[in-house]
Amino acid sequence: MIRLSGRARSALIIGVQGIRARKLRTLLSMMSLFLGVLAVVAVQAGAEIGQRALLSDVELVQGKDGTLRMYLPPDPHTASVAIDALKGRGDAVASFTTSATIGEPGVTPINPGGAPLDRDNNEGYAGPAGPVFCDSRGYCFGQPAVNQPKGAAIQLSLVAMTGDIRQFQPFRPVSGQWLDFASAPSLGPRIVLNKAAAIGFARYRIPAQLSVGSGVDATPRIVGVVDDGNDQPTAYVRTDELLNWMPVDSMSNGGGLQVMLSPAATGELQVLRTRLIAAGIPAGQLQVEPIDAKKHIATELTLVRRVFLGLAALVLLIGVGGILNVGLATVGERVEEFALRRAVGTSRLLLAAIVLAETLLTGLFTAAAAVGTGALVLKAASTVLAGREPFLQDIGFPWQAGAAGVIAGLIAGLLGGLIPAIRAARIPIASIMRA
Amino acid sequence: MTPLIELAGVTKVLKGQQQPRTILSGVDLTVHSGESVAVVGRSGSGKSTLLSLVGLFDRPTGGQYLLHGRDITRLSERRAAALRSAEFGFVFQRFFLLKHLTAVQNVAMALVNGQGWLPRRKRKARAIAALDRVGIAHLAKHKPPRLSGGEQQRVAIARALVREPRLVLADEPTGALDTETGNLVIDVLHSATERGCGLILVTHDWDHARRMGRVLRLQDGTLADAGPEEVVRERAASVGGPDIGGLAAGAAGGMLGGMVVA
Ligand SMILES: Nc1ncnc2c1ncn2[C@@H]1O[C@H](COP(=O)(O)OP(=O)(O)OP(=O)(O)O)[C@@H](O)[C@H]1O
Ligand SMILES: [Mg+2]
Repeated sequence: MIRLSGRARSALIIGVQGIRARKLRTLLSMMSLFLGVLAVVAVQAGAEIGQRALLSDVELVQGKDGTLRMYLPPDPHTASVAIDALKGRGDAVASFTTSATIGEPGVTPINPGGAPLDRDNNEGYAGPAGPVFCDSRGYCFGQPAVNQPKGAAIQLSLVAMTGDIRQFQPFRPVSGQWLDFASAPSLGPRIVLNKAAAIGFARYRIPAQLSVGSGVDATPRIVGVVDDGNDQPTAYVRTDELLNWMPVDSMSNGGGLQVMLSPAATGELQVLRTRLIAAGIPAGQLQVEPIDAKKHIATELTLVRRVFLGLAALVLLIGVGGILNVGLATVGERVEEFALRRAVGTSRLLLAAIVLAETLLTGLFTAAAAVGTGALVLKAASTVLAGREPFLQDIGFPWQAGAAGVIAGLIAGLLGGLIPAIRAARIPIASIMRA
Repeated sequence: MTPLIELAGVTKVLKGQQQPRTILSGVDLTVHSGESVAVVGRSGSGKSTLLSLVGLFDRPTGGQYLLHGRDITRLSERRAAALRSAEFGFVFQRFFLLKHLTAVQNVAMALVNGQGWLPRRKRKARAIAALDRVGIAHLAKHKPPRLSGGEQQRVAIARALVREPRLVLADEPTGALDTETGNLVIDVLHSATERGCGLILVTHDWDHARRMGRVLRLQDGTLADAGPEEVVRERAASVGGPDIGGLAAGAAGGMLGGMVVA
């Protein structure tokens, strides 16, 4: 235990006695502060959790904070150069996105254009039929619709990767396994579907037949499902397994070529750039940009946070008012006690400290109660809602919220106790003789 | 021998409504260890004001105040608090016990004043010993609302004595008590002086005043010795009885104490 000085101990003892003597009054002064601190805790916890939830969603789609990303221009050489340069590299992954169809060959897919499947009526979708290609600038173009009968096929984005992309985009496993990049490539490509694609497989009877581009057919093996935060049906595959079925040049056609590198992979980046430039790609087209996921959400959250903190500050102010009000009334009532304490040798300063100790303890108790309540509510909410909101699953009470609550309680205790403390210290001792 | 306290020409001027009011205009007072002094005087004559100066509740406007020969006329608030704790014990007309504390806690409260630190068990032992001195150790666990007036005043005296003060200042300690209980309280205070403690008793009760070693009278802002005749005259006046010279001699001899009451 911390060794407190005799004076501090005296202040604590008398403060606790004072609080115990006026339990109801203390409770009343705690009420508004309790709500205020609870509001501060809720704002802080909400912001932390919201940030985490948003961050994990943003990271799924965009990539982890700090990851370097380089879009490769659509050029017949880029794919082969990238695959060659990044072969066996752990911290740099090239991915190629093409359109593919899984299911009966030669039919119009259930979701022409790779539209999301969870819409009930896909017929209403106005997107172009047939494969759609999008370039890095978001410019999409479709092929003219061929008159084909509608059949049991799903059109999806096929993402081929030279390495494990989850180090940059932490997809959440839903079922089955993720691709094993360490094993030898197999002839039949193993694919992992995202949730949006898995819906189609659950709802329709889709034969396992993969068509990529024009007429290349393979028999894929679906090994797992992940949540990648994407509404578009998507399938993930190892580049080397896909290359058994389609030429490397056609990978560059799709336009969705990008390389993700960990911030430390400067060597790989250097090699890749050099080789791409050597292959005739203009250096100006090889832009590398770091992913700034935090900044992205920070701006979204700042406003909400400010508004709520403003509200919390207001409620806290009311809490200070409550303590101040009760504190002043109490000092008025305790004039005799305070004069008596001074008469028996308590110094002016210590007397002020006693009054402050009481309000600080009240603030601290209140904050502890509010933080505890907040933590309990969060726990209950996460247990009840974890099924619906996966990000709530393993959320602990953010310590920042607890700290903010305790600080708020102490500040309220200090502000609410200061004036009563000064008043108490000013009481003349002689007033006890005329009481 | 150095006196316990020595006041010389002490004055006190208070801010009045319009102009300053002189309450004390030159008080000389010397009290030795173990000596008991009664201070009598009309209501509003400044008795409480005098005690508040002696007890360092307040500072005199002029004059000099020596404690053990040391000048303490002008002291910092911190050192005054330390002296109040170490040198003085206070008893008031109203007992000023804290309702939410038991008798023993009310006594121990004088030990929790930031002047040194005693562990809880020692505080309790000393508080019980002080309660024992005033004869109510058996009531240690009672809270004030369950104590009689006399018992409450004895708790207050125990509180004044718990730090073994050199001087007890009592401002009309029997004012709220009946005669018998008042006598008991004076007995208790008186026994404290037998252990070498000084006592200044402000009282309106001449029976109590007579029991002190000296009786001083505060009038027109100064203190003067009150002789036996005056004691009796005051007493008769205070109870509204006739001021008869014959009674004076008898009362001064302590024979007719309670009989003068008409
Ligand atoms: N704070 C003050 N401001 C102005 N005048 C005061 C103050 N306190 C006391 N007085 C005045 O000082 C005078 C002396 O007061 P004091 O309380 O010392 O009298 P007392 O002799 O103790 O009277 P009592 O026997 O009624 O207790 C009174 O006239 C009172 O009105
Ligand atoms: Mg008085």
